[in-house]
This record gives sequence, C-alpha cells and structure tokens, in this order.
Amino acid sequence: MRILLVEDNDLVADAIARGLGLAGFAVDRAASAEHAASALAAEHFDLAVVDIGLPGEDGLTFVRRLRSQGETLPVLILTARETVALRVEALDLGADDFLMKPFEQSELAARCRALIRRANLHTNGQLNFGRVRIDVAGRQLHIDEKPVELTGREWLVLECLALSAGRVVSKERLQQTIARWDQAMTPNAVEVYVSRVRAKLADAALIRTVRGLGYRLDEPEA
Amino acid sequence: MSLKLDPTLSIHRRLLILLLPPLTLLMVAGGFADYRASMVFMRTAYDQSLADAAFAQAGLIKVVDGKIDAPLPVQPSTRASREKFYYSVWGPDGALVSGNAQLAPPTGEGNPLYADAWLGEHRIRLVSYRMPTAAGVVTVNVAETTYRRDAARHFILTSTWLMDFILVDGTLLLVWIGVRYGLKPLWAVRDQIESRSPRELRPLDTAAVPAEVRPLVDALNGLFEVLREAARAQRQFVADAAHQLRTPIAGLVAHLELLTQDPAAARLGDRLASLRDGMSRVAHSANQLLALARAEPSANLADKFEITDLVPLVRRVIERHVDRSVKAQLDLGADLKAASVEGSAWLIEDLLGNLVDNALHYTPAGGHITVRCGADESAAYLEIEDDGPGIPEGERGRVRQRFYRLPGSQGHGCGLGLAIVEEISRLHRASVTIDSGAGGHGTKIRVQFPAVKTLFQGKTATAVTA
Repeated sequence: MRILLVEDNDLVADAIARGLGLAGFAVDRAASAEHAASALAAEHFDLAVVDIGLPGEDGLTFVRRLRSQGETLPVLILTARETVALRVEALDLGADDFLMKPFEQSELAARCRALIRRANLHTNGQLNFGRVRIDVAGRQLHIDEKPVELTGREWLVLECLALSAGRVVSKERLQQTIARWDQAMTPNAVEVYVSRVRAKLADAALIRTVRGLGYRLDEPEA
Repeated sequence: MSLKLDPTLSIHRRLLILLLPPLTLLMVAGGFADYRASMVFMRTAYDQSLADAAFAQAGLIKVVDGKIDAPLPVQPSTRASREKFYYSVWGPDGALVSGNAQLAPPTGEGNPLYADAWLGEHRIRLVSYRMPTAAGVVTVNVAETTYRRDAARHFILTSTWLMDFILVDGTLLLVWIGVRYGLKPLWAVRDQIESRSPRELRPLDTAAVPAEVRPLVDALNGLFEVLREAARAQRQFVADAAHQLRTPIAGLVAHLELLTQDPAAARLGDRLASLRDGMSRVAHSANQLLALARAEPSANLADKFEITDLVPLVRRVIERHVDRSVKAQLDLGADLKAASVEGSAWLIEDLLGNLVDNALHYTPAGGHITVRCGADESAAYLEIEDDGPGIPEGERGRVRQRFYRLPGSQGHGCGLGLAIVEEISRLHRASVTIDSGAGGHGTKIRVQFPAVKTLFQGKTATAVTA
C-alpha cells in the first residue's frame, strides 16, 4: 500500500516515512503542495498524509483543491495547531481524518490502515482486517481465507462493527441495526449475539467491550 | 449643611432621597402658612362685624340728666342656629348699666379691645368699646359664641390639608416618575452590558447613550478594544507557539520511537528508554502549557460558547483513551445520561481529557475508571471516579494549583492537569469538587456546570438575583 506524505519539516517527514515503512507501507515524500500535486498526477497512491503548515499553498487549500478536482483518495491531515474550527474545517472540506502532533507512530499507522481499509470497502466491497476478510457485498466472513458461517443476526452485528472497525460502536446502535431485522431485540440479546460472533472470530480478531460505551472490533493484540 | 450619602447608593434612590423629604417639608410649611394667613383674614372679618355691632349698640346710648340709658337690641340669633350674642353696658363707675352681668369688660389696651373668653360653658369672642359720653366713659361689651368661627376654621384647616395632601402626593409621584424616566437611558446602557455574555467584547452601542454616560461607555469600549486585541495576540501566540513547539517535538518523539524498535540501538538499552521517557514528558508538558494558555480567560474571551451535548463529547474523549487503558490494564468505562452545557466543546474535551489522563496515570493496573455525565434539573455534571490511591484530603486544595504535584508522585506529570481543569471550569462557571470514590477509596472528581437556562436568559437571571 502506497502513501504520499506531504510534510515540509525534514525531521518529522523522515521519522514518519521510516515509521510507516516499518509498518509495511511504501512511502513517497513531497515537501510542498505543488510537488504533491505532480506526484499524484503521475502515480497511484492509496492514501495521502498532509501537514497543514506547508510552505506556499497550505494543506487545507491543497485538500480542497484535490476534492474539487474529483480526487477521492483518502486524506489524513496532520497539524501542530489545534483549534476546533480547524478540525471541523478539515473534515468539512473532505479530509478523512485528523491527527495532532506529536503522535505515536503506532497511532498514525493504525489510522492509515483504517482509512485504506475503508477506501477498499468502497471500491471492492471487501474489508481486510488482519487474518479476517469480510466480504460485505457477498455477506461472507473469511478467516485465514476459509469461509466461516454466520447467522443473519450475527452477520449484522459483525458488519456493523467491521464498518466502524477501530471505533467504538454503541450497544444502542447495534440494537437498532438488528432490530430492523427482528423487532423484539433487547440489549441483553445484543450481548448474546456479540459473544457468539466473538466466539466465531476466535483469536483472529478481537471484539473489545468498552464498559458503558459499546464494542470495538480490533486486530488481535500481538 | 453637608449631607453624606453612601456612594454606592443608586442614583435613582439618591435623587429621591435628595428631592422628596425637602419637597415634602416645603409643601407642609407652605400649607401651614396658607392656613395661618386664612385664619388671620377670617378673624379680622368676624371681629370687624362684632365691632360694628358694638358701635351700633354704643349709638343707642343716651345720657338724660346724667343718667345713662342703654336699651338692649333685639337678639339677632333667630337666624343663626346655635350662635348666641351677649351684650353688656357698664357705667363710668364700673357698675352694670344693662345687659348680661357676667360679661365683664376685659382688661387691656386698645379701643375697641378684643378678647377670647368663656361665658359659662360657651367659648366667646368679645369686643369692648369705651365710648366717652357726657356722663363719663361708658363701656359697651358685645360678644358672640365662636361656633361660626370654629366651623370656618375647620373648613379652612380641612381644605388646606386636603390641598396639601394632594400637592405633596402629586409632587412625589411626579418626582418619582420623572426620576425613573430621566434615568431610563442609563438603564438601557445597564441592560446592554448585563445581557452580554462575560466573554463578549463587542463595543457597546453608543447611539442612545445620554451625554453624561457617554464618556463612561466610551471608556468601556476602549477597554473592550484593548482586551480584544490582547486576546487576539494571545491566541496568535498560542497558535504560533503550538506550531513551533510541536513540530520538532513530533519529529523527536517519532524518531525516538523508531530508535527503540531498531535492533541496532539495543545496546543503548536503558539510556534510550529514559531519553524517550524524557521526550514524552517534554511533549506532555508542552501540550499542557498550551492547553492552559488556551484555557486562560484572556485568550478565550472571544470564543463562542454553544449548547454542547456532553454524551458524544465524553464518548469521543473515552474512545481516544481506550488504547492507553488497554495498555495500562485498566478498565475504562462510562455511565452516560443525556446532558448539555453552554460552553466550548473543545475546552470541555481538554478538561475531561486531563481528568481521564490523570486517572489513567495514577490508577495502578487492574483498576477501574468510570466517567459519568448527566444533569440534575438542567444543571449538567461530569464526573470521573477511579479506585486508585486517591488524593489525601489535605492536598485536595493544593493539587489544583499550577505545577503542584503530590509529594512522592511518579511519572510524566507536570502538575498542570488539574490547573487546566480548574481554569476551564471557571470559564464555564462550573465548580470542581474532589472527593474519595466509593467506599472511601480512590478519587472522585465532579465538575458541576450551572443550569443552561440561567446562562442563556441573562436578564431573567439577574432579575432573580437583583
């Protein structure tokens, strides 16, 4: 998977490039919006990581220009300045995620993976999650490329969690998702289905319970 | 005369105090003078007619052969209901010539001589006229009861008092209304200031401000301008500092993270670990200092406060910390009920972020941390409870101070977390209480926000407290 890193500070760019490289990404660097634009025009990338404070055209303007040109490439914004307005603006004009400096390399890599995963889901209806492959279009779960059978309700639970992989999904949302299928659904029933899906995923993926908040689908801990 | 009034007394009251008592006294004195003047005129008129009766009586007196003949007049009292007239004529020798023997001549100067006296049970007004005749000075006494005079006096008294009463009341009312309406532009300015949020620095409208108050409003607007500029400068500084600090820190943190994973650096061992630890402390402190600078009232005056739903906000903050809680083997959970506050979502996220950060930092592995939000009536609260070591009661005040750290505390803390919480709470007029958790263990910190409607309906709220 190929990432275009648009960052003018060498110290930061070098570290990010190495870190993402270690995490299994191929990283190309651009020090300005102009360089990034020509790189994008010439080659294919799966994701762009863009710093806001660029010399010349700033990161936000660059993203706005990309989107106005119909570019659907997922974009993660990096910034050292934090204001609510900036975050809202960045997401409004088409950035897909927003990360404050300084950050942990693992956090950046996880966000990049999540964004690429989501983009892939859009293009081919597949969600790859470590050893788990979820074929959303074909309603099929694969673990280590072997199909695993799920009941209808179990599938709805997994699909809902997978579409927000890495983020907490509230019990209420799961309940509503399943309730469309089966009107008489109680919060306890949600727990039952979650634990069934959990059992079927075994050690290939982890459904973490965040007390009082909901569930989160994670890759298994190393 | 020097009159000392409390300088904090309202202008409205001051005007009323300065105007009403003297006006009232003046009008009462005026009424009294009117009454006295009317009384003098009335008595003179009645006395004159009494004297005329005495002169007429004197005209009837004849001296025949040295003998005084004084016929008595016909009682005219047939027409006056209760009024009685009395006559007596006394000779030069002081003997009664004719008439009522009880009506003795008064002593005193003057001719005719007037006097008030009693005749039996009647109060009378008496006039005594000494007339020289061939037989010597004859004294003619005429008297009348005072019923008519009393009735007239009562009438004058009553009408004067009534007039006075109407005048005083009317004046008081006019003064009160005048003062009230005269000060109206002042109240308009007051309302303009009161209805503003304390964070608002827009200049006051000077269009409808009276000349006396204008310099005050101009001075206020000047001050607002200075504050606006200072706030803008501080925000700009914080933003620049954030960029200048965070970018190199981000680079260093990232490189150190890579180095610790590099097998080639394995021989550096502890030295690299402590370097990375120190760097993360620098990063944390920079973040905290920037957060504190942002939270200071001077930087945030222009920030817009909005109705903010706490539930999604708390969810966001907890989600951000789930990974850390997993790493630290802590159970981070929530108990969320609908609640909203008027405030800055971003600052409240900072506030809660610091509370969660502290709890994660100080609670040992295996512990539990619960974040709660909700509302009693319309006053929202945020609460975080952990079962860590807790904060000793004697330290609960001091931990809120900047850079203060509990004695013997370890780790990356720079002692700004609770100071940030305190600062942001103050901006939101929220109160922070630090307690022990359930069963006297751990820490429970509660941020109590004011009810949303009191913040919104500024006028109503001040009307209640005024």
